[in-house]
Formats: sequence, C-alpha cells, structure tokens
Amino acid sequence: MNRLGIIAVVAAAIVAVALPFFLAPFGIYLISMWTVLTIAAIGLNLTLGYAGQVSLAQGAFVGIGAYCVALMTQAGWPYPFAFVCAGLLCFVIGWILGYPALRVQHHYLAFVTLAFTTLVFLVLRNEEWLTHGIYGIDGIARPTLLGWSTGEALDFYVFSLGALTVLAATTWWMLRSPWGRAFVALRENPIRALSLGLDTRRYTLMAFAIGSSLGGLAGALYAPLVQFIEPSSFALGLSFNLLLMVIVGGSGYFFGPFVGALIAVLLPEWLRVTQGYYLIVYAAAVMIMMALCPSGLLGLAERAAKAVLRRDPPPVAPLRIEVTEP
Amino acid sequence: MLRSGLYVSLVAAALGVASPAFAQSTPTSVYIPAILELSGPGAVSGTNFRDGMLLAIDEINAKGGILGRKIDTPLLDTQSDASISRAQVQKVLDNKPYVILGPVFSGSVLVDMALTQKAEIPEIVGGEAAAITQKNNPYVFRTSFGQQFSMPKIANYIRDGIKAKTVAVLWVNNDFGKGGRDNFIKEMASRNIKVVADVSTESGQADFSADVVKIKAANADAIFVYTNEEESARFLREAKKQGIKSPLIGETTLLGQKVIDLAEGAADGVRGHVGLTVDAPNPAVKEFAERFKKRFNYVCDHNGIKGYLAVYFIKYVTEKMGKFDSKAFAQTAHGLTITPKQEPGILMEATWDQNGDIDRESFLGEVVNGKQKIVETLPKLGK
Repeated sequence: MNRLGIIAVVAAAIVAVALPFFLAPFGIYLISMWTVLTIAAIGLNLTLGYAGQVSLAQGAFVGIGAYCVALMTQAGWPYPFAFVCAGLLCFVIGWILGYPALRVQHHYLAFVTLAFTTLVFLVLRNEEWLTHGIYGIDGIARPTLLGWSTGEALDFYVFSLGALTVLAATTWWMLRSPWGRAFVALRENPIRALSLGLDTRRYTLMAFAIGSSLGGLAGALYAPLVQFIEPSSFALGLSFNLLLMVIVGGSGYFFGPFVGALIAVLLPEWLRVTQGYYLIVYAAAVMIMMALCPSGLLGLAERAAKAVLRRDPPPVAPLRIEVTEP
Repeated sequence: MLRSGLYVSLVAAALGVASPAFAQSTPTSVYIPAILELSGPGAVSGTNFRDGMLLAIDEINAKGGILGRKIDTPLLDTQSDASISRAQVQKVLDNKPYVILGPVFSGSVLVDMALTQKAEIPEIVGGEAAAITQKNNPYVFRTSFGQQFSMPKIANYIRDGIKAKTVAVLWVNNDFGKGGRDNFIKEMASRNIKVVADVSTESGQADFSADVVKIKAANADAIFVYTNEEESARFLREAKKQGIKSPLIGETTLLGQKVIDLAEGAADGVRGHVGLTVDAPNPAVKEFAERFKKRFNYVCDHNGIKGYLAVYFIKYVTEKMGKFDSKAFAQTAHGLTITPKQEPGILMEATWDQNGDIDRESFLGEVVNGKQKIVETLPKLGK
C-alpha cells in the first residue's frame, strides 16, 4: 500500500463528500445515480474482472433488487429489512445462475446470462399480480432511517454514498482475503487452480452469487432514487451498460467500476452540448477509448504512469479476454 | 491498487461533474423546455411531438412570441428511459421553467409529474395512460384523449355501429397497448360484449401468423387491434393473407395514413375511432398537416398534433392571464375552453377539465381505397 494511493483515495473521498454542496439537485441526482451504478458495476467486476465469468445478467439483478425493495416497502416492511432481502435474494439466484458457468465459458456463458436477463424482463412484465406488469411501480418512498429522512436529494446522496463506501470496503477486504486470490486464480488458469487444491466449482458459484448480490443491493438503492421502476429499465440495455462500465473503467481493477460508472453517467450528459448528436459522439468516444486502451481507462492511466515513473506493475493484472484453453 | 484512486480523481476532474450552462427565462424570452423520447423505443412518438411543437414555436416566434417574449425550448432526450427522464426534469426545474413540454411515454410522465407538482410547474404531456390524470395532480395537462375517454367511444361504436356480441382483442404488450387493452376490456364488460380472444403481441414483432390463427379461430363478431404503427401494418397484411372476414376495428393508430401505406392495400375496410388525425374533416387541421409535411417531409401522426396544440395551449392561457405565472397557469387552464376563433392554432375547439384531460370532437372513420375516410363526427363528451 503506497502513500500516493492513500492520498489519492482520501482526495477522491473528500471530493465525493464535498461535491454535492456545490451542485443543484440535478447534479446531486446524477452523482447519486453514479453511486448506485458503481455498486452494480463493482459486483460485475467481481464476476467478470476478477473471476473471469462473462455475465450479461447484472442489469436483471439490479431489477430483482429494485422490485424486491419496492414491493416489500409498499407492503409495509421496513426498508433496511427489504434492503437485506434484496441482497440475499440475488445471492441465491446468482448462485443458481452460476451452475451453467460450471459447464460453459466465455461467449456461451454470455448467451446463458443474456437469456436469463430476457427471462427476468418477461417475468417482471407478465406476472402482473406480483410486479404490476408493464405499468411499473410508482411512488416508491425514500427511506427514513433512525428518524433521518432521505427524502431530499442531498440526504439520499449521503445515504447512497455511505452504502457505496461500506460495500466497496467489504469488497476490498474480500479481494485481499484468500477468496479474492482464489477468484483471480480461477480467471487466470482454472486447471492450475484446481490442481492446487482450489474448489473451483465453489468459487465459481461464489463469484456469481456475490457479484449478483451487489447488483441486487444496487437495485435496492435504484428504486428509492428514481422512485419509479418498470420492467424495460432492467432489460438488456442496462446489462450492456454495466458491462461497458466495467470494461471502459478497467476490468480487474478495483477502481475500474468507479471510473466506468462515472463515464457512463456523466459523459452522455456532458456531451448534450452537441444536441442531437450526443449519443453518436458518445458511442464514437467509447469505440475510440476501447481501441486505444482495451484494458480500460485505468489500464491506460497505469501504462502512462509506468512510462513516467518507471515503476513495477501492480499485483493484479487486467483481464485478458483470451483466457487459457481447458 | 490504491494508486488507481488517483486516476479516478483525475478522470472525474477531466469530465467535470457540473452540468453545462443552461438556458433560463430572460426579459426577452420565456423558458419552456421539452423533455422527449428522441432516441430508444419511443423515438418515433417523441420526434413527431418535437416536430409539431417546433412548427408551432416558430410560427409564434415569427409573430413576436408570447406577450412579446420569444419561446426558448431546449430539447432534452430521455432515451425512452424513466430514470433519465427524471434526471432531465430535475435539470430543467433547477432553471425555473415557465411550463414543461413532454414526455410522451406514460412511465416517464408518472415519474416527472411528481417533481413538477412539487415545484408547481405545469407540464403538458403526451402520455395517454389513464393513471396520469387520476392522481389529483393540478399541474399535469394533456392535449390528446386519455385511454379512459377514447375506449368508451370505440366500445359504443362496436356495440351500436357493428352490433357485435363477441369481440377479439389483439394488443401490443407495452404501456400504451396494455393500458388500452385494460380499458377496452372494462368497457366491453360494462356493455355485455364477450371477449372471446385476448392476444398479447410484442413490440417490434414481425410474424403475426400464429396470432392471426388464434384470432380467426375465435370467430368473433369484431376484432379490435391496438398496436403501434409498424406492427399494425404487419398484422393487417397477415389478416388479409389468412382471409379474416370479421370487421377489423382500431383506435386512431390502425386508421393512420402511415399504417395504411405500410399495409399495402390490406388496410381497406378497417374501421374505427379516430381521436386526432391529420385526415380530420377540418380545413385548419388539413392546413396544419400540409405545413408540417412541407417542413419535415413526412406525414404527421397524432403525436405531432399533440405537440403543436400544446404550444398554442400555453400561448392562449398565458395571453389570457396577461403574465407569466406558472401557478396561475394551472389554475386558469382548468375548465378552460378554447375555440379556433379565439386561437386559430388550437385547430379544433377543446376543453380542459379539472383533471387536466382534454375534451373535443372526434371521428369515426373507415379506410377506403388506401385513404382514411371520416364517416361520422362524434361530439364532445361534455355536450
């Protein structure tokens, strides 16, 4: 752990805390959305970036978490309980979804998870008795915790930033534990990991389950942030967007999702000055970014820093898509 | 690993987290932003609404604006997503708009209207879901019929015009189609007309052969079709191919010129209710349609008329008040009737009720030789 890194994280934390005091409610809403999507992207980074399991289901887990919280709180359950239930439900479903990952890899696995996302969308849309169907659920209240109402934009941002801090710290701790090293071993060479006595089956399922539960917890924050949810918000588009965040930020870098979510939330807004062309410019910018730095922005920044400082590479390398043959 | 935190800060600084400078009302202009579905699944509806709106804005600005102030309408795309729509409405509310135009998707409207109500800013929306005007929100207004008004009219036509005892319904499973279907089923039940087939279809569906087989097997006295334009045309072609004989009934979309053109002859004989159409037997509407076609080079649909009327509605209410006051706008607009004599841009006499719903004449039409023909004009509900 070097001093420069600690200073950088402390500086980023100060910015994150101080920023809303300089922003109008619109800006606060955007950075609140950033915290929510960062949590979901951290989960996907765990599954994809660290454990090497390609998943297009993270958007569906955000949806499951959001619906779980919306339905439970509207039925009178307290928000903290619903929040925990959203994480647990997604953990269990993520574990089950992990089973196909034991048999298929890479783009085959991507298709399995893609089918799951479509399935979740159809359930959310068609099972009207439970989910209110295509109309969605509106009027989702923001929680009151120990007498503190998060109804105002700034309060909700503080709450979601707190949740991001706790979940990111927990993930950080986990990645430094033997589990995190097992995930990386799984990504780099599953056969070697198995031959070293690692229970690859258990860790594959675990990577899916923990990544999915983070998606569910992000959904548990998404519902009260937007205060309206509908099935189409959690269709394939969101899963692709979360995948984009992980890849653009830097897959396999702990802070990759933070940067990726920042790009995905803020860049389209920033590009609105180009009016009707903003999505075209955004798409072109992402293509150029990926062409110039396939290891993501953090990979690029790291290369640049190395070139300047001539330092040793960090302990965790970025994900290489061409994973070894079994 | 921690070093990458530095890069996070750098990227954040490079991006800049504050929104770009944004318009506000000035002594010479009035800020009326539009939040619309300009990309994503709602782009066709949003673009039509936008173009209708722009036509009206340019006409009004060319004549000096509203009370001497030019209309300033920046366009904000929702990407057809409710969460982005919410962000955009928050963005414009931070800049104190006079009135907000859009969005068109009902889900986005439901998100936005809670915020505009809190800020006491009127919103003229394109959404047609019944729920929008049933929430006691005094700041939301429509310029088209909600489904709770159009469906009773079509139900009366099926009962009295077609004299059907059984009906099959085919609908698209999105918020537009589901809302229409639910209201339609309710109206059928209250008229003792039996729904013998209830067929849900997908947005963007290409193959309707299985659905037409189901509908045909139901052997209903009438078939009610409630889907978007492209799907309507595909259904009509398949229905003709399989030789469906029961009358095909639609609500506005099915009788639109775009569907008629795409169906390539298969729309002939289609009948139904037309809420708002450029083919209405009204010279002012026809002139509007020509101006629209000339400027944008395509035929306007009902969303285009909604956008056009929304701007003239704002103009009339403001000039009646003689000031720009958002809260007073909402109070003045409820219960207001505007005639084309008072404001030619309103095209047809219209009344806004206490919920913000519109009431005006509508039509019964039929497709004859590839053209929509209006066969009967239905009076306002309030008459």
